[in-house]
Amino acid sequence: MSGIEFKKPTFPERIRGMLGVDFYRLFHTPMFYIFLGIAAVIPAMILGTMGMENPQTGAVAEPLYTNTWNIVAAQSPLYVVNSIADYANMNMVFIFGGIMVSIFIGHDYKSGYVKQIFTTHAKKQDYMISKALVGAFSMACMCITYLLGAVGAGIFAGTSFKVNAGSLIIAILSKMIMSLGWAGLYTFLNVIFRKYFGISIASCFFFGTGILIIGAAAILGNNSILNIFLYGSSVFACLSSSIITLVVCLICSLVWFLIYITAGTKILSKCDVY
Amino acid sequence: MNAVEIKGLTKNFKEKQALCGLDMTVPEGAIYGFIGENGSGKSTTEKIICGLIHSSGGSVKIFGKPHTDIDVRSEMGVLIEAPGCYPNYSVWNNMMLQATNLSIKKAETEVVKMLKLVRMEGTASNKYKNCSLGMKQRIGIAMALLGNPKLLVLDEPINGLDADGMRIMREVLVDISKNGTTIIISSHILKELEKIATHYGIVKGGKMIKEMTADELESGCRTYTALKTKETSRAKSLLGCKYSRVEEDEAGYVRVYDDVTAEEIVTYLYENGILISEIGKDKISLEEYYIDIMEGR
Repeated sequence: MSGIEFKKPTFPERIRGMLGVDFYRLFHTPMFYIFLGIAAVIPAMILGTMGMENPQTGAVAEPLYTNTWNIVAAQSPLYVVNSIADYANMNMVFIFGGIMVSIFIGHDYKSGYVKQIFTTHAKKQDYMISKALVGAFSMACMCITYLLGAVGAGIFAGTSFKVNAGSLIIAILSKMIMSLGWAGLYTFLNVIFRKYFGISIASCFFFGTGILIIGAAAILGNNSILNIFLYGSSVFACLSSSIITLVVCLICSLVWFLIYITAGTKILSKCDVY
Repeated sequence: MNAVEIKGLTKNFKEKQALCGLDMTVPEGAIYGFIGENGSGKSTTEKIICGLIHSSGGSVKIFGKPHTDIDVRSEMGVLIEAPGCYPNYSVWNNMMLQATNLSIKKAETEVVKMLKLVRMEGTASNKYKNCSLGMKQRIGIAMALLGNPKLLVLDEPINGLDADGMRIMREVLVDISKNGTTIIISSHILKELEKIATHYGIVKGGKMIKEMTADELESGCRTYTALKTKETSRAKSLLGCKYSRVEEDEAGYVRVYDDVTAEEIVTYLYENGILISEIGKDKISLEEYYIDIMEGR
């Protein structure tokens, strides 16, 4: 018999190493900071539309919001989007999160680093989980800079800050929790289109806008059944949120995360890596 | 115990069959030269061993265990084609990332050790994208060596290297091998491979056609008698009538591959009026041997 002693790395050992690499990369990726900045600027851009004067007609545009917190979340769950105002809130950062995940996975394949990963002790599920967790973290960070940007923009524009503080906190926390589910979806999409960077980004953008659920809502109306979907739960996290909202978002996010991670792992396991 | 044992390995890419029942045995501690023409199945075999692609059939065992086992994979270091590094990161950062990925304790010490081993300690701060091809290949080997793997799989690691780069690579591989690491190395540069390999495997059309040790290669059918004469073509023609394989090489020597003594040849040609200015026994190179096998001689 060979004198080689085999040591089976445990899941925590494996994931710790992979997360170490991915977090290092996240903090050394300029796009991460650019998206944090964009997330902070968006609220100001939304509020900036108020009071704008049409140079031809002289008419002053109706402000999108008079309450600062409406930039963060809608007053009530609005699955049916009637105007851009219904759409312009913190949910937009999830689209940027998708692009971040695309950059991460795209670079892994483009640089060939994926070979370094899968020729060692890493399992396919480790890869999926690590990318999704880092993606979720980046989205949660964007939520925070978006919030800070909203407060700054609100102070600057002089909009109202009147809100039920409990509901606001729950809404923000719920949206941050939803990052996990969204990250699972984006990781899954990127694993499918792993060799086609452009298609990966396009698919993340397409699904990140929640266009399918908005389409479904146009048929179903403001139906709470839509909360079973990522976009539905993200919309459900609004300024009238209660603890139920938090629970719904937690369950929805976790379930979709697990579904996407399992499906992505299956795909990766079935396919040749490189 | 063999480091690698492959039986009946097959791999189909849609309609193309890349491997058709390949068998391979790599003893522990060997430097296994894996030879074959382009598209013969070398890289495919190596990718299957490393777990980068799935096989369509057959079995691959590494140190007696299935190659897909995580604990076995922890004992492998791999350099397939080019190293998988982030171009905008420094050599040091790329190495540290791999050390982190492998959860290596005292990562910095280990990275310094490996960079020193591949003669790259002075260039650790260089960005990977600014490194030369030879440097990149050595970084790839250093990365593959992190965690002290017991099996190293290298796909064409000396391709594109200059003479000095090849020498360094050769020295590095010999150093690694001294620690008991088994190395599988595929290459087209047989002259270089010949200097380090202890075992050979020749693959053709997705099948292993010959496996042998360096000693077997050395003592086997590799000798010939070479002679120089002013009447080369007449000597070749005469010898060709008497012996089964007679050829003229690039330097103008007539080679007789049959098992015959120099005296016999000298006498025979003298009797036919041909004088020889030079005669001696020599050995064919691995490259020539490989060509012979490929041509079915």
